[in-house]
Amino acid sequence: MQGNLSAWLVKHALIHRSLGFDYQGIETLQIKPGDWHSIAVILYVYGYNYLRSQCAYDVAPGGLLASVYHLTRIEYGVDQPEEVCIKVFAPRRDPRIPSVFWVWKSVDFQERESYDMLGISYDNHPRLKRILMPESWIGWPLRKDYIAPNFYEIQDAH
Amino acid sequence: MASSLSSMASIMGLKPINKQEMLISKRRINNGFQVFAQQVQEETTSLQQEEEKEATPVKGVTQPRPVEPQVNVESKNMGRAYGGQWLSSTTRHVRIFAAYIDPETCAFDQTQMDKLTLILDPTDEFVWTKETCNMVYSYFQELVDHYEGAPLTEYTLRLIGSDIEHYIRKLLYEGQIQYNMNARVLNFSMGKPRVGFSYNEYQIEDVNQ
Repeated sequence: MQGNLSAWLVKHALIHRSLGFDYQGIETLQIKPGDWHSIAVILYVYGYNYLRSQCAYDVAPGGLLASVYHLTRIEYGVDQPEEVCIKVFAPRRDPRIPSVFWVWKSVDFQERESYDMLGISYDNHPRLKRILMPESWIGWPLRKDYIAPNFYEIQDAH
Repeated sequence: MASSLSSMASIMGLKPINKQEMLISKRRINNGFQVFAQQVQEETTSLQQEEEKEATPVKGVTQPRPVEPQVNVESKNMGRAYGGQWLSSTTRHVRIFAAYIDPETCAFDQTQMDKLTLILDPTDEFVWTKETCNMVYSYFQELVDHYEGAPLTEYTLRLIGSDIEHYIRKLLYEGQIQYNMNARVLNFSMGKPRVGFSYNEYQIEDVNQ
């Protein structure tokens, strides 16, 4: 079954796929990476002015990488604000997703973290570099096929 | 005794076993902007450095190459173009710096980034002899030759340092080096000493007999 936002998007002929509702009743949509920037601007104009969080995960070894955006609307006098969750899937070989930094500023560090951990590079991000690992690290640690090198102190902490 | 003075003496250069090894690996950086993380893309293992090597006398074990001593070395920081920070890998027994450290005055010249300096076991957890030190130095030389061409980052220095630590652990398990019982911190960081039940000479007496 489709939620309200999904119906609205269909009405405006924007390509997406509805992924149903999660356990809290928040509807989830899947957007293609190419369309994501324009749909982000449309959602901002529609009223979702708060990006609650952005995270990313590795769907399957050899599969896709997902970048998840949790949007909500901040306004006064509302008991249950509208929320929506957007997932953008990127291929593993060349994972590039347009950055929504220019729409919601809070995505700055979060996209850097997704880049650092999974290797998803965000186009038009002003300073996309590693934020958790040392800058000279090689590899994407949170990918499912990542093998940590045999550093001494990890093995032999007595 | 000697062990407690050893760390002091190595600074003075008086100790017969000099546990500081300076290695000229002659790594040259092609252009200084390639290796530091101002860029977005991650470097692969492509060759970014060239290295001139002298002929090594190969006699089973790699001999460390002789190093010409330098005079008038001053402590200098790395240039701004290279990020202004030092490159090092530090664990308990192995400290590798991409700099030239003068053995006598301990001047730390970081502008000479083509040299790697290894400081071996500054806390004296093990008992070192000249032979065992030289084994570690020759292994270090082999590793540096093996890693020739890799980008000069802390990641590769940590890989080299970890390999040397694993080598020291191997020497310990073979019995070639031993723990120093007069060390200031005695916590057997590479494994507690064990009784060798598999040794053939040592027969454990049966309790019931």
